[in-house]
Amino acid sequence: MTSGAVTVTNALGMHARAAARFVHTAAAFQSQIRLSRGTHTVDGKSIMGVLLLAAARGTMLEITADGPDEIKAVAALVQLIESGLGE
Amino acid sequence: MQRLKGIAVTGGAAVGRAVLLVHRGEAVRFPIPPDRAESEIARLAASRARSRTQLEHIKANISRGPGSELAPIFDAQLLLLDDPMLIGRAETLVRTELVNAEWAVQRAFDEVEQLFDSVKDPYLRERKGDVADVVGRIRMNLRHGARARDLLRHIDGPFVLIADELAPSVAAQIDWTRVRGFAMDAGSRTYHTAILARSLQIPAIVGLHDATRRVAAGALVAIDGADGSLTIDPGPELLRDLAQRHDGSTAAVTIEPRRGPVATRDGVRVRIEANVDLPDDLAVARREGAEGIGLFRSEVLVGSGPADELTENRQYEAYRRLVEGMAPHPVTIRTFDLDESRTSGRRPIGDDAWSEVERRRSPLGLRGIRLSLTRKDLFVRQVRAMLRASAHGSLRLLLPFVTTVEEVRVARGLIEEAEQTLNAEGVQTSHVAIGAMIEVPSAALAADLLAREVDFLAVGTNDLIQYTLAVDRTDERVSGLYHPLNPGVLRLLRAIRRAAAKEGRPVSVCGEMASDPAILAILIGLGLTEFSMTPRAIPAARQLVASVEASELRSLVRPLQSSGSLAAMEEYLNREVTRAEVKS
Repeated sequence: MTSGAVTVTNALGMHARAAARFVHTAAAFQSQIRLSRGTHTVDGKSIMGVLLLAAARGTMLEITADGPDEIKAVAALVQLIESGLGE
Repeated sequence: MQRLKGIAVTGGAAVGRAVLLVHRGEAVRFPIPPDRAESEIARLAASRARSRTQLEHIKANISRGPGSELAPIFDAQLLLLDDPMLIGRAETLVRTELVNAEWAVQRAFDEVEQLFDSVKDPYLRERKGDVADVVGRIRMNLRHGARARDLLRHIDGPFVLIADELAPSVAAQIDWTRVRGFAMDAGSRTYHTAILARSLQIPAIVGLHDATRRVAAGALVAIDGADGSLTIDPGPELLRDLAQRHDGSTAAVTIEPRRGPVATRDGVRVRIEANVDLPDDLAVARREGAEGIGLFRSEVLVGSGPADELTENRQYEAYRRLVEGMAPHPVTIRTFDLDESRTSGRRPIGDDAWSEVERRRSPLGLRGIRLSLTRKDLFVRQVRAMLRASAHGSLRLLLPFVTTVEEVRVARGLIEEAEQTLNAEGVQTSHVAIGAMIEVPSAALAADLLAREVDFLAVGTNDLIQYTLAVDRTDERVSGLYHPLNPGVLRLLRAIRRAAAKEGRPVSVCGEMASDPAILAILIGLGLTEFSMTPRAIPAARQLVASVEASELRSLVRPLQSSGSLAAMEEYLNREVTRAEVKS
């Protein structure tokens, strides 16, 4: 299991387009991916789950991956959020 | 054991496993055997695949044109098709609760909906709409190729059907031979579905408010038509009691069918025809002594598909069977009373325009003859089928939802044209009488103008009462105000009868109103003499007619039209009609 912490930097936070981008990327990996905000944890491959985290700009998130490509997955997803989710 | 109270529509009792039909027939809920779970999940996968293709198509179209900023919405919707919270959850529900895919998707959505509602962010709350869209699409695609009746066919029957509401179109697709009893959340005794239950002769209860939420699919339920109750998990005593009473009551209510014309004691001839909803009703209508079919609601032939798919030949076969089956008596066929959502020309699947049509759909919108005149191709196709069938017996054509003289003129023109075309093609046709349905107050008030344009009038009392009293009879909170004996309704009926008489046109009453013997007495008192009713009601109606004097009824009815007091009117009628029944 691998995990990494990251702060949401883009202006709109994890709204539809950003959440979609995140889930798209997460879905490309075989590992199971979880996304947590404090005690609230959701499936990182669920667009609804990611949306319902309601992560605005400045929110701290933890990404956890478990599976054969977990290291790559966490690195890619942390980088995606740090880069502002393509905004 | 839990007991729910409703309004009994038909007597008798039924016991069976519950099958639920909810969201106006959009979602069916029924138990599946464990070995069918995987095939349900395969159906769900197929529906998702179809949904994916449609969404990708929409996204591609949108990205190219104006509105390309909307494309991400469809990205999100595509992701929803794989969302474990929706699809994963639905699959789990199919496996663990052994319910059908439609229901599992609906349940998963209900759970997610609660999560969305608890979010403060208004933007996020709005995203629920996207989820609802996707769920609607999955449901639509689950139905793809399989109609509601096909779904019900898989269920081990017979069963008790419990619906929140049941549109006639959905009702027409159900294989009722497998339905032992019927119960519905909405409705009153005069609701369309109640009419259907009567013509099906199965025990039925309506107005249960929340039975679909309180009964679990597959639960054992007992319907008691004697007191309008539905019991969940009935005990052995109740089951025994129902079985005994059921046997007793069937024997008691049987009235010897009478044949031939019927008249009041003072010699006023009363004509009684049958309303037919399903082709099978024909046999019942004949058996009960109907002197014709006063109303065949042709839209039942359309089923769940768009009206465009119903060919001229298929219609012709259906109409011919009715006409031949009822010969030498006449058969009145009402042209489609559909709204625009039922025609494919305006049904761009997977397009926002579709939800626009859904939004604007209204009982006061583009329906009946209004729709027929904007879709002349469908109208002419139906008219051709009717004209061809007319050669096999006596057929009359009835135009629904007429509000203006112009509508009738245009329709007549199209009918004449179609007849000439057919004759030129060498196809035989017989004379087809053309009638206008009076079901809107303005048409009732100007009935003399319409009568001049047609060969006969037919009063659709269900809609006429609803529009005159401004009461939605499917809304159980106000359906108690839906009262056929309101003085306003009685005056309107008298006005129609007078207008028809002035123009020398026959007028028949073909709503539910006529199938209640007490109300039938009032209608005869108003001077009306032609009725069409559910076949099951005919024996009692014939008996009533034969036991009253029309002159007596006329003098009894006169003060009712101005009394204004429903209570006094009902008391009065109960006394008089009961006396008339006792006298016979």
